[in-house]
Amino acid sequence: MIQHFPILSIMVLFLGAFLVVLVGRSRIARTAVVSAAVLTSFALMVALIKPVMIDGQIISYWMGNWAPVSGYAIGIGIEVDALSLFFGLLVSLAVMLSGFYSFKYITQDDSPDLFFTLYLMLAGGVMGIVLSGDLFNIFVMLEVMTFAAVALTAFRSWNPNAREAAFKYLVVGSLGSTFVLLGTALVYGQCHTLNLAQISGLLSVNGINPTMTFAFALLFTGFGVKAFMTPFHPIAADAHAAAPSSVSVLISGVFTKTGVYGIIRVSYFLFKSMGMSSMQTGLVFIGCVSMFVCVTMALNQHDFKRLLAFHSISQIGYILTSLGLCSAIGIAGGLYHAINHTLFKGLLFLTAGAVLYATGTTKLEKLGGLARRMPQTAALFMVGAFSISGIPPFNGFVSKWMIYQAAYEKAAETGSIGYAFVTVIAVVTSVLTLASFVKVGQSVFFGELPVELENVKETPLSMRIPMWIMAALCLLTGVLPGLMQQYIINPAVRATLDYKGYIDAMMGEGYAAAHLADTVPLAEAKYTFAGAWDPAFWLVLFVIVLLGVTVAMMIGKSGRGAATAIADDKHDTFFGGEKNTFSQVGGGDLFWGFKYNFRRYLNVMGNAHSGVVNDYVTWGVIDLALIIVYCFIFM
Amino acid sequence: MKLLMNLVYILIFPGLLFSSVFGLWLAGIDRKILARMQKRVGPPVMQPTYDFFKLMGKETIIPDNAARSTFLLAPYIGLASLIVTVLFIPIAGIQAFGGVADIVVILYLLTIPSLAIMFGGSASGSPFAGVGVSRTMVAIMSYELPLILIMLAVGRLAGRGFDMGITFSLEKIAQYQAANGPNLFCWSMIPAAVAMLFVIPCEVGAQPFDVGEAETEICEGPLVEYSGTPLAIFKLSHAIKMFVMTLLFTALFLGGISTGMLWLDVVIVLGICAVVTLVCMTLAHAITARLKVEQMFRLFWTVIAGLALLSLILVWIGI
Repeated sequence: MIQHFPILSIMVLFLGAFLVVLVGRSRIARTAVVSAAVLTSFALMVALIKPVMIDGQIISYWMGNWAPVSGYAIGIGIEVDALSLFFGLLVSLAVMLSGFYSFKYITQDDSPDLFFTLYLMLAGGVMGIVLSGDLFNIFVMLEVMTFAAVALTAFRSWNPNAREAAFKYLVVGSLGSTFVLLGTALVYGQCHTLNLAQISGLLSVNGINPTMTFAFALLFTGFGVKAFMTPFHPIAADAHAAAPSSVSVLISGVFTKTGVYGIIRVSYFLFKSMGMSSMQTGLVFIGCVSMFVCVTMALNQHDFKRLLAFHSISQIGYILTSLGLCSAIGIAGGLYHAINHTLFKGLLFLTAGAVLYATGTTKLEKLGGLARRMPQTAALFMVGAFSISGIPPFNGFVSKWMIYQAAYEKAAETGSIGYAFVTVIAVVTSVLTLASFVKVGQSVFFGELPVELENVKETPLSMRIPMWIMAALCLLTGVLPGLMQQYIINPAVRATLDYKGYIDAMMGEGYAAAHLADTVPLAEAKYTFAGAWDPAFWLVLFVIVLLGVTVAMMIGKSGRGAATAIADDKHDTFFGGEKNTFSQVGGGDLFWGFKYNFRRYLNVMGNAHSGVVNDYVTWGVIDLALIIVYCFIFM
Repeated sequence: MKLLMNLVYILIFPGLLFSSVFGLWLAGIDRKILARMQKRVGPPVMQPTYDFFKLMGKETIIPDNAARSTFLLAPYIGLASLIVTVLFIPIAGIQAFGGVADIVVILYLLTIPSLAIMFGGSASGSPFAGVGVSRTMVAIMSYELPLILIMLAVGRLAGRGFDMGITFSLEKIAQYQAANGPNLFCWSMIPAAVAMLFVIPCEVGAQPFDVGEAETEICEGPLVEYSGTPLAIFKLSHAIKMFVMTLLFTALFLGGISTGMLWLDVVIVLGICAVVTLVCMTLAHAITARLKVEQMFRLFWTVIAGLALLSLILVWIGI
């Protein structure tokens, strides 16, 4: 029974997409179809937690029952181990919440039926990638996903920026797909199979010859494009800024995860390159560059959603870095951060969408003081901002804390101080992240309210509920890291390191043992912490102290009358005697001390992000060339 | 009984009551000695305490422009998280709640009070607060880089003593110092300790690094619209922050001093806190003028971070 769940969870999404085209004109039918599709998909994934995560089963499924013939996989296989399920859960959760949010959000646009068709295509494509056990099938789904995402980016086609962003996305996205296709073709030429498990087994037998090294570089870069790792990040910035917010949630929280997932599959499972210290260094380097470059770019942005887009890639940098460390705690930290990234980034994009919905703009300079008009959105924004900046006890902190330890332990283990600087860069990135969210808070939600925004109203309830769910999950995953690790993270970490089980489940018991004579050793799936952190405990103490303080203050205040409500100028804002004109401080005016010291760097970066798609393609090709050279030298 | 003990920890020692009283006392000493250095008589040592109670009795004015709930909640959240931080730092071998937080956690917990000031100020809607928020954030960016380098250096030193490679646990750091003498007496740690002496005033927001609250320029920045009880809480938080930061200094560099008598150990630690305050805050305040924002940032990311980095490298190569 349960072996049908993965394929069903993909199919309901595609089926929903086609049904929406038929019946989507009617609002009720559309809502019903989309809700049914996303809910079923999520429910099927949740139903798999028990067998896959807890009991450790690996589900394999041959489409059309095309089982392997004389040892060669000829059919398309679906294979779900804990790692696939982990990403499947993330994807279906984000798709569900963002879908519910869209019902109301998208009413401001024309043709919502087309929106939901593309939306479900995108979702189905992503689910197809993370659950598939077949390299070519992954490529096909990658294309479905990319084109749906490009079309959704251009969805508000009255906006020239959207069309331009979609075009850039199309060009660079195709570049990535081409890399993946070329890599797949080379792998097929060498191994005569497209099944991931069998490729993994055969590559261990045949060894990695130069063609395979080339294929690895292509696949790695191709998936890197999907994860928007530096230097592909400018595309993400344009796309997020132009796309509807609920689509940004998918592009940031889900689409990029397929890139991360692809990189894990390629480097941990297929080529087992992560056992090599040179490959670890390479991935950590890419991660650190993405992390730091994107966060400094984000500090310079004047648009709410562009800023979020850069942060999105910066957080992907954290994930890549910790996956590159290749220790059990590193992988655990990276996967934990992947969950958190989907949650807090989703929340932040949804709040940005709420601001856009209510005010019609996301320009930081034009906004201000919205906390008084949209108090709930402001509170939700703060939860998201604290989570992404890693303020305890929210979820971002737990995963970052694990990543810091992983990097520093790696430094102690290998005796190279270089990894200590990974920790330092990660901490600095974290504080810069905090800075740019303080900037958003000051520019959008606090400060003075511009006259034009006097009549802004809070967003409708149906948009707030998905946001509250995400916020609650941000807090829960932050406060209960033990449970998360036990039931979600550790099985996925074990699966990441256990490619033998993956091969056996697909190709039959004993296949791995026959093919994996001597393999590159990977770390054990056990880890201990160098420090200690118990957020639940902190929260309890915090509440007690907060109560204590409040009670003490109440006692101190008793016997005094309430403040009088006479209207006089003592309730005005202090302007030092100047005339009270609109003098909002925000947007580009903040953090002068930082920007001044980094002015040369920021100028160079600003010029480099020229917005010309030719430049970005050139960067991409140069990046591929560098990766190929690196792989040929060190692999 | 255990519950009662924990409540005593939380509310009396070293929690709410003790850290408030001692923090205000430290602030008082700071002001008194500063005045003596400037040949003034200065206020009585109890003055910050009097100020606190006086402010408590004043009317709380909420500007029309403010986002009310954030404006009013921010001070309490900042104070509460500061006090919880005190509970995690060992004092003379007593750690109220050991094994639940480490140095990286402390690093992040210490940003919450600053965040409370920033968001509270931001919520007041004043442009002065806006400038103050920007500057406070730059101050945080400034000290965070040296602080993490210091913590990594200490973590490596103590971790090697335990055959673990590294440790982030404050408990382990305290044990290491109890066995091997305070870290300050280890040559490689001296640059880090000096760097820490610069980080403390920056984190507390004392001159010459008080850019965020610069009274003479931006009228106390984020606090400009605050009055009455919330302002009193912020003033109290400021005083407690002095205590927390100096306590952190003792935990990292001068832990493990033991005479066998608990009360004497505690007194010694408190004495060290007072001396550190004197050296890095009072003295610095008396002899320097406020730095510009960009000068401060450059100082911290070059000289101070350089000192901390020197320590880290020295520890790493095993001196």
